[in-house]
Parts: sequence; structure tokens; C-alpha cells
Amino acid sequence: MEKINDLWLASGIYNLQAGQFIMLIVGLLLLYLAINKKFEPLLLVPIGFGGIMANIPEAGLAFSAVENAVHFAQPEVMSSIASALGITSTEPHTILEAYHGSNASTHAQASLAAMDNGYSNGMLYNFYTVAIASGAAPLLIFMGVGAMTDFGPLLANPKTLFLGAAAQFGIFATVLGAVSLSALGVMDFSIQDAAAIGIIGGADGPTAIYVASLLSPHLLGAIAVAAYSYMALVPLIQPPIMRALTTEAERKITMVQLRQVSKLEKIMFPIVLLLLVALLLPDAAPLLGMFCFGNLLRECGVVDRLSDTAQNALINIVTIFLGLSVGSKLSADKFLDFETLGILGLGIVAFGIGTAMGVLMAKLLNKLEGGNAINPLIGSAGVSAVPMAARVSNKLGLEANSQNFLLMHAMGPNVAGVIGSAVAAGVMIKFVG
Amino acid sequence: MDSLISEGLSLMVFGMGFVFVFLTLLVGMTMTMSKFVVKFAPEPVAPPARARRPSAEPVAKTNNDEVVAVITAAVHKYRS
Repeated sequence: MEKINDLWLASGIYNLQAGQFIMLIVGLLLLYLAINKKFEPLLLVPIGFGGIMANIPEAGLAFSAVENAVHFAQPEVMSSIASALGITSTEPHTILEAYHGSNASTHAQASLAAMDNGYSNGMLYNFYTVAIASGAAPLLIFMGVGAMTDFGPLLANPKTLFLGAAAQFGIFATVLGAVSLSALGVMDFSIQDAAAIGIIGGADGPTAIYVASLLSPHLLGAIAVAAYSYMALVPLIQPPIMRALTTEAERKITMVQLRQVSKLEKIMFPIVLLLLVALLLPDAAPLLGMFCFGNLLRECGVVDRLSDTAQNALINIVTIFLGLSVGSKLSADKFLDFETLGILGLGIVAFGIGTAMGVLMAKLLNKLEGGNAINPLIGSAGVSAVPMAARVSNKLGLEANSQNFLLMHAMGPNVAGVIGSAVAAGVMIKFVG
Repeated sequence: MDSLISEGLSLMVFGMGFVFVFLTLLVGMTMTMSKFVVKFAPEPVAPPARARRPSAEPVAKTNNDEVVAVITAAVHKYRS
């Protein structure tokens, strides 16, 4: 009888907390959106599943050894961890606070003390440490994205880089929005949090995760989920804004065919970009360096095997770890917060403003070029979200004029948006990191 | 609290400014690079394969017209 009682006390049902239950439902909702609605399934399936695993009661998959030890709170373990942290209180809350605020060496000592007592890091916690805390996974994904990107349309019409720049206004406007919310006392975001939230407007998953992991890791789960869900929603969010800001005549503008770009130009471009980053903004070097490296692998034509690995096998492997690691941040105590709602709201504002500024910039460029050269619809593609945003531009162009194929023209601002948001990320890391 | 907003404002101005400066320079460097490449290492201009297709079509058309004309003439001759 006692054995049955023990089994019951250790079961998930007995230990399930309300927050964990809600997060299990959130995880299932993400899986539903990914599988049934095809919302960025490559990422939301691992994220949703990771989120479910992170909230399994008592398993502690998303927690470090110390957090797991504190959870079970055996007196002798608590006192050894407390002494490692250099505090006298063995109260769980105080220990966790001291643990999270400690410097690297004390942190390591506390972990070792917990491990000596037989507690270990959860699986997802280890994934997170290796994949995201180290910065490796987002950067490897960026290399893969570089290997998949064709800069041809951008090189044929470099002016579309301005569209990619204008669309980044969404990022900075949202930063301002987030700090205003804090100033009004509605939410409590620091400037680092605000910067990490704003980057959602860059519509670039790996960049958002990279910046969030550096500037405000505690918001990473919400930011990643918001970024990837809104990227999936681009076909719904963008068209109303694009229609509102353009006239029928402007949408009908057909653009001249792009010139042929030589192979040498394509090889030179990543090198030129890397040199510019090295000279002006070393803080963006990790992101843009890996991006340029991937692109050079693709264009140089002598390392097809490496290019193939970067854009297929490697990016798939990394995506699995990245998704599960992000899922580990969906534990109830970190995600179920009023701030998450704020992040979701600000994220969609960031997207909208970015789209609008891209379209307005395209209208301005069109005016400067004589009024019949650039279809403003391609401006919205400046928010990256490759290639979804470019497809949206193409679709709206076809609606206005069934002979108007904007896809290749929109790919220019689209990849410019990737560069733009990486530069914006570098600036954020430089200023507030 | 005001300092937070002013921090946000300066981040916006500097950040946006920097993004524009960076991408403007990139536009400049890209255009220069393209000019140099076109000037010093132009692609060997192969006779464009596309040109052949439009020229092939009219030929087929005139052939068709010719055939139609010949058949019409033959039919007329036969009927008369």
C-alpha cells in the first residue's frame, strides 16, 4: 500500500501545477498551429514539443542541476549549495535568487555542489546551453540561410537595399513603444528587454533569438514564439497595410527585367559586405560573418559539398536543437506572465510599422526615379521573412495586373532586409549589450 | 523613467541612422564593385540562346501560312 502511495506522490498528475497545465495546452496549441495550419512547421513543431517536455512535472528537463536540487529541497543538499553560494539561508527562494545573480565561478561551484549530491542538468537545459547560450545555433542557421540566398536580384538593382533599411524602422519604433510602456508603468521592460522585443520586427528568427539570448534571455521563449508565429502570419498581416498605402495605379507598375549578374560579382559581394562589417560594425560580425561565409560557399562554386551541407543537413540538425532549446524556455514560471502579452502585442506592431515604412520608402524611390520605375509593393519585402514577404508582394502585384511578376524584384529588398536586420541587431548589441 | 525614454529615443535615432549609413555605403561599394567587374572582367558574351526561339516561331508561322495557301489553292482547283 505504501508503495502505491509513493508511486502516486511521484506521478505527474499529483504534481501538476496550474501553470504547467496551461503551458502544456500552449504547447499543444503550437503543435496544432504547426501541423494543421502549417505555421512555420519546421520550427514550431520542435518548439511546441520542447515546450511540452519542459513542463512535465517533476522531470525538470528545462532546469539546471541547482534548480532541480532546490525543487526537491533536501536539507543537507540545500546547505551545501548555500555554502557554495556563500549565503547562510537555506530558504529555496533565497538560494535561487543568489544562484541566478551569481558570477560565473560561484555559479559553477553551486552547480558542482548540486551534482555531487546526485542532481543533474535537465536534457533541455543542456541543449539550451550548447545551442543557444553559446550562440552557436542561431549563427549556424544564419550560415545556412546565407548558403540558400541568391544575391543576384540585389546586385542587379542595389538601390533596393534602401528598402531593406527603411523596413528596419519597425524595430526601433517598437523599442520606443516598449520603453514607453515601461515609463507609463504598464509593463516593466528594461532597455535591453525593449531592444530584444523590437528585433521581432526584423522578421528574422535566428537574428531575434541571437539578440534575445545576448540581451534578455528570460524573454527568449516569448520572443522566439512571437517572431516565428508572425513570420507565418506575414500573408495576413502585410496585404491590408500594403493596399492602404498604395494606389491602384502604383500597384500596376511593371518593372523592367533585371540585368544579368556575373558570377564574379556574386563571389565578390559577400567579401565586400564582410569588409564593410569589419570596418564599421564589428558587433554584427558574428551574424553577418557567418552569413557571408555561407553565401561564399554557395557562390564560389568549388566547395559544393560544403554548401550543400550548410543549406541542407546542417541547418536541419541545428533547427532541431534550436527548436527544442527554445521550447525549454516555455516553462510556466517564465512564459505565463503579463509581459508575454506585451511582447506579442509589440511584435505585431513592429511588423506593421516595418511593412509600412518599406512601402513608403519604395514610393519615395519611385518618385525619385520618375514615377514609373519601382512598384511600391516590393517595399514591404524589406522586412526579411524570406521568401514569404516577397511572395506576398508578387501576389498583390498579380492581383492588380495579371502580367506583373514582382517576385524577382521583391527578392532584392527581401535579402536586403536580412542584412538590414543583422545590422540593426549589431547596433543594438553595441549600444545596450 | 524619462531617462529610459530618452535612451530609447537615442537608440532609435542612432540605430536607424547607422542602418542607413551602412546600407548606403554598401550600395556604393556594390555599385563600384559591379562597375569594376563589368569593366575589367566582362562575362564572355555568348550568343544569347533566347534569340533563337522568337526567330524560330515566325518561320514556323510563315511555313504554316504557306501550307494553308497551297492547300486552299489545291482545294479551289479541285472544286472548279
